[in-house]
Amino acid sequence: QSLCVHLNYPLYIRSVPTQGELKFHYTVHTSLDVVEEKISGVGKALADQRELYLGLLYPTEDYKVYGYVTNSKVKFVIVVDSSNTSLRDNEIRSMFRKLHNSFTDVMCNPFYNPGDPIQSKAFDSIVSTMMVQAC
Amino acid sequence: MAQCVQSVQEFIQDSFVPMVAVLCSEDAERVTRKNSLSFPELLRPFCRLTSEGHLRDPNNQVVVVKGLRISVTGINTRPPQTPEMHRLLSQAVSVCQPPEGSPANVITAGDYDLNISATTPWFETYRENFLQSMPASEHEFLNHYLACMLVVSSCEAVPTEQFLKLSQEQHRIQHSGEYTHPKWFIPNTLKYYVLLHDISEGDEQRADSVYEDMKQRYGTQGCYLLKINSRSGSTGADEQMPDPWSQYLHKTSIHNPELYEESAVSNAVENNIGAEEDGLDPSIRDDNETHPLQLDQPTDAGYPSNNASQSVNNVDMTRPQKQASVTSHTTPTPRGTCLTLNDHDHIRQFIQEFTFRGLLPHIEKNIRQLNDQLVSRKGLSRSLFSATKKLFGGGKVPEKSIAELKNTAGLLYPSEAPELQIRKMADLCFLVQHYELAYNCYHTAKKDFLSDQAMLYAAGALEMAAVAAFLQSGAPRPYPAHYMDTAIQTYRDVCKNMLLAERCCLLSAEILKSQTKYSDAATLLIKMTSEDSDLRSALLLEQAAHCFINMRGPMVRKFAFHMILAGHRFSKAGQKRHALRCYCQALQVYKGKGWALAEDHINFTIGRQSFTLRQPDNAVAAFRHILINDSKQSAVQQTAFLREYLYVYKVRNTHSTSCIMEALTLFSTGEKQAATHVSLDQEFDRDLSPLWRELEERVVAVVNRGAVPITFQPSQCCLNSQTDNLRYPLAVVEEPIIVEVVFRNPLKIPLALSALCLLWKFTPKDFSDPQGNTAGETITNEKTMALNDIIDTQVIPEFTISPEETKVARLKLLPHKTGELHVLGVVYNLGTGEVDNSEGDLMCVRGQQNLEIQGPRLNMTKEEKTSVTYGPDHRLDPIITPLMPLLEVFFINFPTGLLCGEIRKAWVEFVNVSAVPLTGLRVASTHPEFFTFGSAASDLTPVTPTAAEHCSAYKTVAMPPSVEIVSLVSPAAFGVTSGDRPVVAEIPLSQGVLGPGEALQIPLWLRGPDREGVHEINFLFYYESTEKTAKLSHRVLRHTAFICASRSLSVRATASRSNTLHSRERETEERQEGEEKNGSMLVFVDVENINTSEAGVREFHIVQVSSSSRQWRLHKCINPVGDKENRRAILASRERGKLCFKATRCRTEEGGASSSQKYTFADLNLGNEQIVSSTTPCADFFFRRGLPSEPRRGGVSTGGASQIWRQSGTDDGVTNIVKKCSEVEKLYTVGTESIQTPLNFSLFVIFKKNVLLNLQQSNTLDSVKIHFSELIHHRLPSHTLVVYLCSPESLEVHGSFSWLGQTQYKLQLQAQEVYRLSLKACFFQAGVYNLGTPRVFAKLAQTSAMCETSQQSAMPALIIINSV
Repeated sequence: QSLCVHLNYPLYIRSVPTQGELKFHYTVHTSLDVVEEKISGVGKALADQRELYLGLLYPTEDYKVYGYVTNSKVKFVIVVDSSNTSLRDNEIRSMFRKLHNSFTDVMCNPFYNPGDPIQSKAFDSIVSTMMVQAC
Repeated sequence: MAQCVQSVQEFIQDSFVPMVAVLCSEDAERVTRKNSLSFPELLRPFCRLTSEGHLRDPNNQVVVVKGLRISVTGINTRPPQTPEMHRLLSQAVSVCQPPEGSPANVITAGDYDLNISATTPWFETYRENFLQSMPASEHEFLNHYLACMLVVSSCEAVPTEQFLKLSQEQHRIQHSGEYTHPKWFIPNTLKYYVLLHDISEGDEQRADSVYEDMKQRYGTQGCYLLKINSRSGSTGADEQMPDPWSQYLHKTSIHNPELYEESAVSNAVENNIGAEEDGLDPSIRDDNETHPLQLDQPTDAGYPSNNASQSVNNVDMTRPQKQASVTSHTTPTPRGTCLTLNDHDHIRQFIQEFTFRGLLPHIEKNIRQLNDQLVSRKGLSRSLFSATKKLFGGGKVPEKSIAELKNTAGLLYPSEAPELQIRKMADLCFLVQHYELAYNCYHTAKKDFLSDQAMLYAAGALEMAAVAAFLQSGAPRPYPAHYMDTAIQTYRDVCKNMLLAERCCLLSAEILKSQTKYSDAATLLIKMTSEDSDLRSALLLEQAAHCFINMRGPMVRKFAFHMILAGHRFSKAGQKRHALRCYCQALQVYKGKGWALAEDHINFTIGRQSFTLRQPDNAVAAFRHILINDSKQSAVQQTAFLREYLYVYKVRNTHSTSCIMEALTLFSTGEKQAATHVSLDQEFDRDLSPLWRELEERVVAVVNRGAVPITFQPSQCCLNSQTDNLRYPLAVVEEPIIVEVVFRNPLKIPLALSALCLLWKFTPKDFSDPQGNTAGETITNEKTMALNDIIDTQVIPEFTISPEETKVARLKLLPHKTGELHVLGVVYNLGTGEVDNSEGDLMCVRGQQNLEIQGPRLNMTKEEKTSVTYGPDHRLDPIITPLMPLLEVFFINFPTGLLCGEIRKAWVEFVNVSAVPLTGLRVASTHPEFFTFGSAASDLTPVTPTAAEHCSAYKTVAMPPSVEIVSLVSPAAFGVTSGDRPVVAEIPLSQGVLGPGEALQIPLWLRGPDREGVHEINFLFYYESTEKTAKLSHRVLRHTAFICASRSLSVRATASRSNTLHSRERETEERQEGEEKNGSMLVFVDVENINTSEAGVREFHIVQVSSSSRQWRLHKCINPVGDKENRRAILASRERGKLCFKATRCRTEEGGASSSQKYTFADLNLGNEQIVSSTTPCADFFFRRGLPSEPRRGGVSTGGASQIWRQSGTDDGVTNIVKKCSEVEKLYTVGTESIQTPLNFSLFVIFKKNVLLNLQQSNTLDSVKIHFSELIHHRLPSHTLVVYLCSPESLEVHGSFSWLGQTQYKLQLQAQEVYRLSLKACFFQAGVYNLGTPRVFAKLAQTSAMCETSQQSAMPALIIINSV
């Protein structure tokens, strides 16, 4: 399971277990294009009312990749083991929402430089709890 | 995809051109050979027609042919065989590199700015070479020969005969069936007779006549007289002539020579080609050389090359040229040396003539013919075919050859099959740019082939139909992309013919690109990549990447990803340069974006590739990039990286001519500089530094008689980031300078640094010279390390840093000359931490790290606040000053723990370790009352400390007890003049100077601080040189001592006016005149042993009580009980004692002003020896505490009492108490007592502590009777004394008791009367009770009851009741 926040380059990336990190990087990286495709697919006029949650981006042999894009085009990607059936669409959606909220909190930090990698303990802990839940 | 030089239309047209064969006679070949060219080569630059041609299609409509190109080749030119072709292609690609500083194409996609080469010439080269080397195939006629030129030299004996011979030869080749190659388009090939005339040699008239003859024979349209070689060979070789051949021939020999490894490659390739060529020699041509890509089964003698006469014009590259190109690449053989510009024009004219007069009419004729055939056959044959097909169940065509069965691609038609006729006609139309007709024909052909399941043919037709459709100007129909897809799929999957598929793919991709269908093109290209050819895959992937970036919404990541794939394939294909370029382009996308692992991979590959391409600088940079950043790689990976880096670095340094040391910015640094004697481990304390500064200021003020000079700067021995570093620090010659450098290893692997030392720059200066001129050149040890005579540089041989460790290295410099020193950096050998015997010394690299210290951020002015500026930091630029004295101080017998008020004697030793004498030694301290060096008056000659060890710290005189000894001492004798506490003390030196190497030992008395706890005592030793230098006026030495003080005795003294009878009288007398000065006073000293059972200290013996005061002195001890125990006043733990003394006024005979300044010391000893308190230790400390202030309110007394007592350990025997115990002195100043009430008497009640207990046992509960005596002692004339036993409450004892009997007494006491009261108490249970509850009130007999005053509350009298 891996998780990542993006502005086309990782602001934050975290994966469990850590040894397969490269694979997750790869998966997340490729999924960005899918995300972009999905966004550009929606018409400009509808962009404002667009659903932030993009749903399942694509399934691979081992993983399911879910995407979420904020209005400021920050992308969240969650990669889940495809054998993990406990996570339904709704759970993923709520995970994303939680993630988005805490991401907003990070952004509210006046000492955070937009574009820097996220190094927030609060964010870390939220992500950790989410990962623990999911696993 | 990158832009091409040609447009798509041009590209496709050029891919399919009419082919013309050439058959040369030997003589003709010889003529052209003069120019080092064969005949086809000679023509090649002129093969593009500049003017338009015209021809009529079957419907008699004029078709315009624009920019036609024809391809002229020798009749026996073979497409290269597969391995050879691969080699040629790879060579062509590797030779073609992006030009240096080519116009960079910056693409901005989102937040990426990518710098991408606009064109990919290597790809175009590859494509061109690839298309040219396509073997001729059965299923299409596009690269079959349409015509044949027969070339004969005019100097031939009988040219006509020769023409005949050649014509027969051609016919034989085409029709005899001996040769399967070359392929011919149409059975009756156009023959064009060319008479080649060498102007420089031949007879022109003869040539003309022969030409006339030819015209007669072949018609004007079928022959030509070509005159060349206007000048004779080598004469005008130096003349500048355009060389149009250069871009067509031997590209290897003209490429820039610095690409030497490519040339090595091409060398090898060429040699191989040469070998191949040899192998293909006519003699051994009969070996079964099979062309794996040939569509048909080649016969052994497939090519008409075993004709000896034609072997000369065999290939484009003839052997002599090849030899030349192999031996010398830089000097290509000059071509066309015998040709003038006129000759060029001749050739151009010739080609034009040939095309327009010969070729185009020939094609036109053939198209018509074919069209007629088809039209005539249409009705019949079509229906016939379909009918037969139905008849035979389909799939079989009567004309089919046997070959169909073994051909996987489906059917093989015989060359005269009607389906092929359509195809043939389509191809002809296509070649002459009649695309509409061509498309129609292809379309028809496609249908036929498909219905026949002839897949290869069908695919070919599909492909060409698509191309033709695209090329139709003003296209009536959209480009049928699915035709192409089907064609490619068929080629690849059904026919297994990758070459054709590739060609098709290249065409299709190009067309799609021109229609901005980039994503389709990319998909196509990516599909075409496969395992069998790395080069092809690499090129196609790269093109695909370019497609991605050129899309309307550029897909940057896909671009980068495919670039990397391409780079990988390039490197597999051995195209290192291209691989490197691909990786570099991809790096632009990944750089600094946080894709750490990907970035590392790219950098690593770049490093490797750069290294193999001998660009060690780039390699080092790339490898460094991997190592510097916070690497997420595993330790193993990091080790590998580091090894590689070191290796690369090493190689680079040996290679590069100027061996510049490169800083490895692996580490962050912090610096500290220190002079000698300073413990570097001590943390800089912000609170402490002003303290030292203040101390130093005081000393300097004392030295300068009260004023601190303006130039004063506190000495700073240890500099770090918090100290004031604006000044250049001063260092002394011959004294070491230590720089502390913090190294941090960010990697997960250990690093071994060796030969670690500082790098410095030094400018010698002679400071004794008043101008301070530079006395020498600036020297640095950057280049040479052997400068130890100027500055001794310490080298740390081994310095290992564990993974992710931060470690401090201390590097020492010892300057031997004065001047200005600048520490520039550190140098070291960097190696991996592992022990590797075989290449242990190999794998290390000299590194350098510059030390640059940033000063503190400036934040004072507005500009500084709004911007980020940093102040200078001169920590590492010390000035080396001339020799200064250097002091070392040792403390001998210095205690770490003292009792409060304990006096201990220690020794201090001053050593001058420098080569110059020092003077003006002073000491300042934060606790001046803590120590004393003794006064000058007390001339205690110091013996050695060892001898004095067991002696007492005091000066003692044997004396019977209770004798008062008085001495008068002036405070000036102890160096105390004013009221404030003396902070600075001067240390006496013999002759005021401590010579070099000399040592001085003096005694030192220490007195334990009055408060318990750990005390930090700072000493600042000040000294200066005998010679004054401008740079450094004085030096200081700091010392901090820690003393742990533990509780000993608490002494409380109260003084009260003696209430004798005469006191009233005296008071009145005083009021009147104040002459009776001989008053007396009672001094009560409460002593309590509050020592909390320290080991070894149990009881204190009070030995002596002394007083010192200006007006008062102790007179005698009036302790009430006279037994011996009390005289020695032994106090065990928690015991309390009370001493009572009578003090009298000093005698006034000494009187006068001087006596008021002097202090009277009076000693009352309780033992057998008297301690002279007016001498050194006691008096010193007395005065060091500061003089008591004047009484405030006309007070009665000021005075001090000192008490000397001894302690004894419990474990010591009684006999050696005296010996072992150490003297402790307690100084106590009795404060001024001001009497406020008119009641000027005091009553003193002493409970005797050893309460007698009479415990009587009875059966009843409460019948214990006790009896204790109470002493009432008063000195008043007559009192009514009221004793209330109705004590309030005794909360501190549990349980209670009650007094029995009378609880209130009213007594009248006479003066000096002692009255005993007997009180009874009753206890109900066992326990501890305080009997000291009675309160005593007293009043003078005459006064009223209101004046009753409470007397001093009784001391607790505890009683322990045991239960029986």
